[in-house]
Amino acid sequence: MSVKRGAGVKQKGNLGRWWNQRYLQFMVLPGLIWMLVFNYIPMGGIIIAFKKFKITKSIAEAPWVGLQYFKEFFQDSNFSDVMINTMGISLLKLFIGFPLPIIFALLINEIRGIKFKKVTQTISYLPHFLSWVVLGGILTTWLSKEGVINDFLVTFHLLKEPVSFLGNPKYFWGVALISDIWKELGWSAILYLAAITSVDQQIYEAATVDGAGKLQKIFYVTLPSITGTIAIMLILQISGLLNSNFDQILILKNQVNISRSQVIDTYVYQVGMSLGKYSYATAVGLFKSVIALFLLLFANKTCKKLLGRSLY
Amino acid sequence: MKKSYRKLLSLALVFVLVLGLAACGKNNSKTTKGNDATGETTTPEATATEAPAETGTDNTAEVVPGWQQHASEKVDLTWYINFSWFTTPWGENLISKTITEETGVNIEFVVPAGNEAEKLNSLIASDSLPDLVTLGWWEPQVGDMIEDGMVYALDELAKEYDPYWFDVADSGRVGWFTQEDGHIYGYPNSSFSPADYEKYDNISSNQTFLVRKDIYEAIGSPDMTTPEGFKAAVKAAKEKYPEVNGQTLIPVGAHEFGATGNTSFDQYLSNFLAIPYEKDGKFYDRYTDPELVRWLKAFRELGAEGYLADDIFIDKRAQMEEKIAQGRYFCMLYQRTDLAEQEKILYANDPNSIYIAVDGPKNSKGDAYTLPGTGINGWTVTMISKNCENPDRAIQLCSYLMSEHGQLMTWLGVEGVTWDYVNDVATMKPEVRELLTKDRAAYDKQYGADSAYWMFQDNAMALKWAVETPEPLGQMERWTYPYVMTTSQYDVTLATGSDEADIQSKVDNEWGIVLPKLLLASSEQEFDSIWSDFIKKRDDFGISKVLDTKTELMNKAKAKLGLK
Repeated sequence: MSVKRGAGVKQKGNLGRWWNQRYLQFMVLPGLIWMLVFNYIPMGGIIIAFKKFKITKSIAEAPWVGLQYFKEFFQDSNFSDVMINTMGISLLKLFIGFPLPIIFALLINEIRGIKFKKVTQTISYLPHFLSWVVLGGILTTWLSKEGVINDFLVTFHLLKEPVSFLGNPKYFWGVALISDIWKELGWSAILYLAAITSVDQQIYEAATVDGAGKLQKIFYVTLPSITGTIAIMLILQISGLLNSNFDQILILKNQVNISRSQVIDTYVYQVGMSLGKYSYATAVGLFKSVIALFLLLFANKTCKKLLGRSLY
Repeated sequence: MKKSYRKLLSLALVFVLVLGLAACGKNNSKTTKGNDATGETTTPEATATEAPAETGTDNTAEVVPGWQQHASEKVDLTWYINFSWFTTPWGENLISKTITEETGVNIEFVVPAGNEAEKLNSLIASDSLPDLVTLGWWEPQVGDMIEDGMVYALDELAKEYDPYWFDVADSGRVGWFTQEDGHIYGYPNSSFSPADYEKYDNISSNQTFLVRKDIYEAIGSPDMTTPEGFKAAVKAAKEKYPEVNGQTLIPVGAHEFGATGNTSFDQYLSNFLAIPYEKDGKFYDRYTDPELVRWLKAFRELGAEGYLADDIFIDKRAQMEEKIAQGRYFCMLYQRTDLAEQEKILYANDPNSIYIAVDGPKNSKGDAYTLPGTGINGWTVTMISKNCENPDRAIQLCSYLMSEHGQLMTWLGVEGVTWDYVNDVATMKPEVRELLTKDRAAYDKQYGADSAYWMFQDNAMALKWAVETPEPLGQMERWTYPYVMTTSQYDVTLATGSDEADIQSKVDNEWGIVLPKLLLASSEQEFDSIWSDFIKKRDDFGISKVLDTKTELMNKAKAKLGLK
């Protein structure tokens, strides 16, 4: 369909088409200007990663120092811990946190009782609306030695003695993963549910006629129909591999579990905001963005090759 | 056609009407302002005409305060306060209204909504600092702003616009805050000079060792000054009171663990153990003192036996405040003013469940505590930014607030309304005082005295009018009197961006990670190995260089203060 339309307009040329749509195009302009002013011009500030910047002086006055701050980061005694934690938490979220909402959406889709379906969905996405600041307070209470979670585990003999989940570095990754899934599972599933509802019912009917069971319908009809959505979500997720949910980690980390909770984002915040080393923090942040860009390109290309679908 | 013509006409009419109204409004306000001025200024005008003659002819005559000369000319000043918790507005309560009346200056406070450093840095970077700026003396931005000429030299402004400033400025403080170029750029509040410490014996410290009164008395008020006594007392308390109001007792409490350590277990403990700040003329690295290690080991033992609750390592300020209000800690090294509100709650519930100050950890020689009071640096400094269009009025306002008249205003308020002379001593009226102790918020809204505007509070001068702090807070305060000392000469700041500052921040950061590990170590060997790793790491970072620089700074500070 799109090919036809394109062919029809071709005679007029792109400019002509643009002119025809000038009123619509005009509406885009404010957004475009907004993007330029607030998203692109500030990017110039990245330059301070290569300069010894002081807030009382302008960026132009700051002397160039080249890659000094990048080197400093690689030699930083926190470097290995910070990298390991960032990658560890993100990979866990990718391998476990990514497929779960898809499975959840498939399961919800199979529920027949409309009321029960609605209630399940509502309950599962409610935590999404609480901010991490609020949840952090709730979670510290729940996860403490006297908290409900320990009470539950001890009463049902899953644990012998109560465990301090936030007071021991070895539990942190698990806490970060599970609390993130609990908070976002229902919300992430909405997107897949939307994709599932747009699948043509006739295909299901055809599959029923062909004698497909419930599981077979899921594997041969539903899943292939939503691969596009899954692929795009995956690409986005991989590009954000080094974004390990700043709010969550900042709220849940403390000085006892810091060896397993400090990630790039919180480190940048600590160094940049509390120690006031803006150049250094910018360098670390830029390092992260560059890696994220490569990850995005890589994931996009792989998806294109394997599934024939991509972001662009 | 006709219709649109009419439309246009009506539009024009509306336009004219609006313009006319606006003009009227302007006129009105002008005339009232004028009336006001002539009505009020009978006295200030008279002084204003005299003033130039006086200052011009000779210096025998008394200098006329600048604020009196210009009280009739209304002016608006903006004032940045680098503390997000400061919410008292200007112009609604008695004190701010009176000050505006007396000086002609109306103030609009600018306060950060969230992170202070973010707000201040963005104001600096965008060159939009308000007229007056108040921030902690230790903030690196103080030096930055002075260095890059963003603030006026106060002495130059005073010379030009308000010689009265020199009469009210404390010479000790001026000397201390004068920079190497011979000018002073910021004036402190809450500042005590070493001389004040000799003059007054009711200067207090904020650092106390607190126990819950009823529990402490129930276990026989034991001696907690030695590690053995301390451990025994904590165990006895936990055994006798495993629960408080149905919740488990937290045997040992502390401040929040932060990125650079825990003030209870490093700074306050060091002060209680009387660890010196200098040794043999050199700046001493207090955290490496064997006395501190000895006590940290005692706490480690308590931890290994389960008497250090997880809560203290994890809780943030909000959770701690809740637990204090429930009285769940048995004992803690804590800033007494930080729990004032919770203490009032405990007192209201049961006067026996409050926290009281008692003798806490001592060093092995049993030396008296060395608790720092506020030093010459005080708390904040206030500066006048070069963006200020009326620097004359700004410096005059500063002089007003620094003068005894201004101090009396911000401490006690208006004579006859909030206070009276009782036996020649300015005393707050009882009903006003009652509101102050009962409901601070309501008090601030109505009166706003008692240092609600603390930017120039002169605690040394205020001792004249001080009344004994009522219970339950008074006991904690009075306990500190005998142990208070001044540590001004050791309050040194390393230059921002210097190597030394970088090393110091690395060491601090490391300490923040190591301290909880030390306290949670399962055995003494583990403690020792963590400790020796830490010492080695510090040496690798280059701590000796920092100590050398600090010794230098300390000697400079001593020379400035006239100390040996």
